[in-house]
Amino acid sequence: MKSTPRILVAMLLGATATTGSAFAAGTHPVTGETLAEHQVFTYRVLDEHSSVDPQIVEDVSGSDIVRDLFEGLMNQDAQGSLVHGTATSYTVSDDKLTYTFSLREDAKWSNGDPVVAGDFVYAWRRAVSPELASPYSWFMELMSIENAAGIIAGDVPVDELGVSAPDDRMLVVRLSQPLPYFPQMVTHATTFPVNPAVVEAHGADWTKPENIVSNGAYVLTEHIPNERSVRERNPMYWDAENVILEKTVALVINDENTALTRWLAGELDRTEVPAGQFPWLQKEYPGEAISFPRLCNYYYTFNLSASGPEAFRDVRVRKALALAVDRKIITENILAGGQIEAFTFTPAATAEFEVPDVEIASISQAERDARAKTLLAEAGYGPDNPLKFDMVYNTSESHKKIAVAMSQMWKQKLGVETSLANMEWKTFLEVRANQDFELARGAWCGDYNEASTFLDLLTSPSGYNDGKYSNAMVDELMTLARIADDTQAIYTRVEQEIADDVPIIPIYHYAGVYMMDSDVGGWPINNIEQNWYSKDLYKIAE
Amino acid sequence: MTAYIIRRILVAVPTLVILIVLCFFLMQVAPGGPFTSERPLPPQVLANIEARYGLDQPLWTQMWDYLVGIVTRFDFGPSFAYRDRDVNDIIAQGFPVTLTYGLISFVVATLAGMGIGVAAAIRHNTWLDYIAVGATFSAQALPNFVMAPILVIVFTWQLGWLPGGGWNGGQWQYLIMPVIALSTSYVASITRITRSSMLETLNSSFIRTARAKGLPEHKVIWRHAMKPAMLPVVSYLGPTFVAMITGSVVIDVYFSTGGIGRAYVDSALNRDYAVMLGVTILYGGLTVLFNLLVDVAYAWLDPKIRY
Amino acid sequence: MPGSIRKSGTEMVHRTAQSERIIEALAEGEAIRGRSLWEDAKRRFIRNNAAVGALICLGLVVIFTIVGPFFSTWSIEEIDWVRMGDIAGDGQPSIDSGHYFGLDGLGRDLYARTIQATRTSLIVGVIGALVAVVIGTLYGAVAGFVGGWVDNVMMRAVDVLISIPYMFIIILLMVMFERSFFMLFVGIGIVSWLDMSRIVRGQTLSLKNREFVEAATTAGVGRFTIILRHIVPNLLGIVVVYATLLVPLMILVESFISFLGLGVQEPNTSLGALISEGAGTVLYGTPWQIACPIFFFLVTIISLFFVGDGLRDALDPKDR
Repeated sequence: MKSTPRILVAMLLGATATTGSAFAAGTHPVTGETLAEHQVFTYRVLDEHSSVDPQIVEDVSGSDIVRDLFEGLMNQDAQGSLVHGTATSYTVSDDKLTYTFSLREDAKWSNGDPVVAGDFVYAWRRAVSPELASPYSWFMELMSIENAAGIIAGDVPVDELGVSAPDDRMLVVRLSQPLPYFPQMVTHATTFPVNPAVVEAHGADWTKPENIVSNGAYVLTEHIPNERSVRERNPMYWDAENVILEKTVALVINDENTALTRWLAGELDRTEVPAGQFPWLQKEYPGEAISFPRLCNYYYTFNLSASGPEAFRDVRVRKALALAVDRKIITENILAGGQIEAFTFTPAATAEFEVPDVEIASISQAERDARAKTLLAEAGYGPDNPLKFDMVYNTSESHKKIAVAMSQMWKQKLGVETSLANMEWKTFLEVRANQDFELARGAWCGDYNEASTFLDLLTSPSGYNDGKYSNAMVDELMTLARIADDTQAIYTRVEQEIADDVPIIPIYHYAGVYMMDSDVGGWPINNIEQNWYSKDLYKIAE
Repeated sequence: MTAYIIRRILVAVPTLVILIVLCFFLMQVAPGGPFTSERPLPPQVLANIEARYGLDQPLWTQMWDYLVGIVTRFDFGPSFAYRDRDVNDIIAQGFPVTLTYGLISFVVATLAGMGIGVAAAIRHNTWLDYIAVGATFSAQALPNFVMAPILVIVFTWQLGWLPGGGWNGGQWQYLIMPVIALSTSYVASITRITRSSMLETLNSSFIRTARAKGLPEHKVIWRHAMKPAMLPVVSYLGPTFVAMITGSVVIDVYFSTGGIGRAYVDSALNRDYAVMLGVTILYGGLTVLFNLLVDVAYAWLDPKIRY
Repeated sequence: MPGSIRKSGTEMVHRTAQSERIIEALAEGEAIRGRSLWEDAKRRFIRNNAAVGALICLGLVVIFTIVGPFFSTWSIEEIDWVRMGDIAGDGQPSIDSGHYFGLDGLGRDLYARTIQATRTSLIVGVIGALVAVVIGTLYGAVAGFVGGWVDNVMMRAVDVLISIPYMFIIILLMVMFERSFFMLFVGIGIVSWLDMSRIVRGQTLSLKNREFVEAATTAGVGRFTIILRHIVPNLLGIVVVYATLLVPLMILVESFISFLGLGVQEPNTSLGALISEGAGTVLYGTPWQIACPIFFFLVTIISLFFVGDGLRDALDPKDR
């Protein structure tokens, strides 16, 4: 059933991957698998990407493209570990405030210009300049680069940024405070270089396929907004001879069910599996339905601010609600895609982080329910005085299912009356940011692979702490963690505090659930941030 | 007639200006702004972005700058959500797509609808009439967001005949499903209107007179009945034409055509003010234009109307 | 919420029944005075088999939404925890499990939900249409009667409003009335009166110069009486027809809003919401999820179309 459409599609899409790399129809140098003749990878994206300008891009699908087009100082491998990119090595000063990167000699832009340290300086200054006003300029501030904050505020001129190029092959970065995970952060798109001459020549139009010049393994050859973008092998890339995949095509398909139909028809190599459909797909397409943990959590947050309901100020109420949520039903019956039940905030898959043992995780659901009933009764809520509150979530089929299931669990077990409200995304954000809610959905994907990217959210100054949870101990511990050598002990304490205070109800930790054609090789399922590079992928002959 | 057209055009200009001003302020009512995001931007970053786009100015100043930009530079402003492009780019990319599948759907719907409608009217109260009426009622009631995914399942997956989506410069294979999904309910409406209008005309006294004169039936229909029967159809076709060429978010969502309908809904959801306004002006302008054209066509079809 | 919807539901059904009675009464009143438009219309309507059949279908749907819940063993929001794990298998329609229409994607009873959805859609259709018709008729009649510059200004305003894209309005309303579904439909009704006002104005203008109006004027009948006795009954025909055709349109608009994911709030539902959910799962071996709601959707809308057409044929004075 699948072969006919595939041929048709190959014809219709006009697959032009004929000008071969050395590998076409050969074998993979490491695995020895026979490679397919047409090295084209086609995948589905939900939405049009925000930009392919490294300093401006702010969404995941845009970053995926930017990582192929541009190469930063460091890359990640299939495990998510750091490997060298444009930099061949780096050194850290004793005070941990100065990083010196050596750049490789053979790095070139797609127009043949050499990639020099000055290109990085130009790009990094660009990222913080108020003139460009990048929505991601805060990332440079997060990287603690000297003067970044002052430049963004307009108090310091842009060329005072703590980054310099003593010569073409050396990049020196000065930080305002030690940052143990700084090297991880230069794998992020915001830090990628741009070619100054091209940016200056074309202005805002420089990212159009006809103008763009990039230093990554691929170049952008076609971009039809809301339909597709195509990137093809960059022969000028320093490691071009080891790049197997000729072409990567991203198709914008809004509807996930239609995307799945098109995957079934052989038009796509990769698409997301809609909630609840994983089990049968796994049975019908063994090996092609894949699931792996992601660096994201899913939770509900109580509004603990003055505008929040009185009832939520009682920790017994919060605890009872958290206990009565049967996470197994949500992960196994509703989502059914290998998601992990969550009783703590930080996903277990986070690097160098071990999920602490919290009591709620170790008892059975029946026990949890019994305890929840007792706690709620103690708090003074019962059949004559039922607990009532509103619950908001943003519009989505699976958010809706989870919210409805939770409200039913609470209703049946505890007699709690919830009224549900789904909201369009921007309204939802506005409502949450203004504490105009009682219980709201929340989710977070790590900016970098370290527990603080999650736990910082629950500190008082965090901009994303919409529930206005405030615990001096947590704040202090998280400040301490920035410079501590052994962070695990601190994070365990913080998780413990959160488990006791229950400012949020952790529901589950994400899984990446894909239909991945069996002829795709090299997909980094162990890279928890899912920073994938087309240069590491290949197509196997069928 | 000419004077009437000129007068109408003169009225259209203030209409559009009022429309722009109205929409400009209405837009601001929606909660959240273009830069409201899951990760709240630090105030300083937000201030930089707003300064860059002049959003820190008072609304009236923004409004004025916007109008001046349109009049002097034909510049409809930047897109906040897609910074690599501006409104002109977005319309220039999306509108031709929508125009293409919209025009084809319009032609298909008009020809099919009028054909079936006239046939059903001539064969009034026969099986053909009943089938036509039943089928069109069902087709009109069937939402195209039900039809679209089913078309993809059948033609792309099960049969493997057509690509499941995309545009590819408007090749015919990519057009078939969007055109079917978009035109079906319009075929139904046009059929119904044509049929009932034709029936009414055929029952009118001048047709009876024509028949009494002994004219052959096809001549009665083509010479005498056709023109007056088309009046209600024409007045329906005007707004329908605008609706079809301004696109359908359903088509763009299910067939990834990249048309303007989806861009419009996105701009509203993203609070991408300039894009939203730009497309609103485009739609408003087209509506005004085609209302005018319908009135002119009316004057031609119905000599009784005077201006 | 569920309580309030149910209440306003019966209220609305009541109100439509009432308005029908008013129409009847009007018709009878006319009949006493002699040759009646309404009496003729009724006779013509009854002769129209398709229209009568459709009216019966519509009646059955309404009765189903009232009587149906008594046979339901599940509520609209209860999740069948036992069967939710395998909906394509255990969730099929079955008499034994009490899920006559099967389960929805989350394991809730589709029978109960379809009934509730049908009711919501009918109410929404009627509210929207009613608001549009009332505003449109008043606006159009005033413009047509008063004439002159008032008419001119009023109609130019309509021109401006009509060139605002419908999508823009829907989106704005969605965002503004997000938390109140019925306000949303009042809102949509408020922007749907434009066509109505044009039709009514045109009709009023032509009626003003009709022979029978002129005759009445020369006979010395008061202006107000003329409006009541000669113009309103003539307008009413078109208003009723238009309203009948607006109801299905409103239901279609509702389904589109639900498709955008911004319709009625859970656990309540509407036909649009159920269909949009069902359309997403056709691939997954649960055909009842689309079949059940779309059946009621099609029956309701097609019946309304037939009734509307029937009424138009029956009331159209040209046809006499």
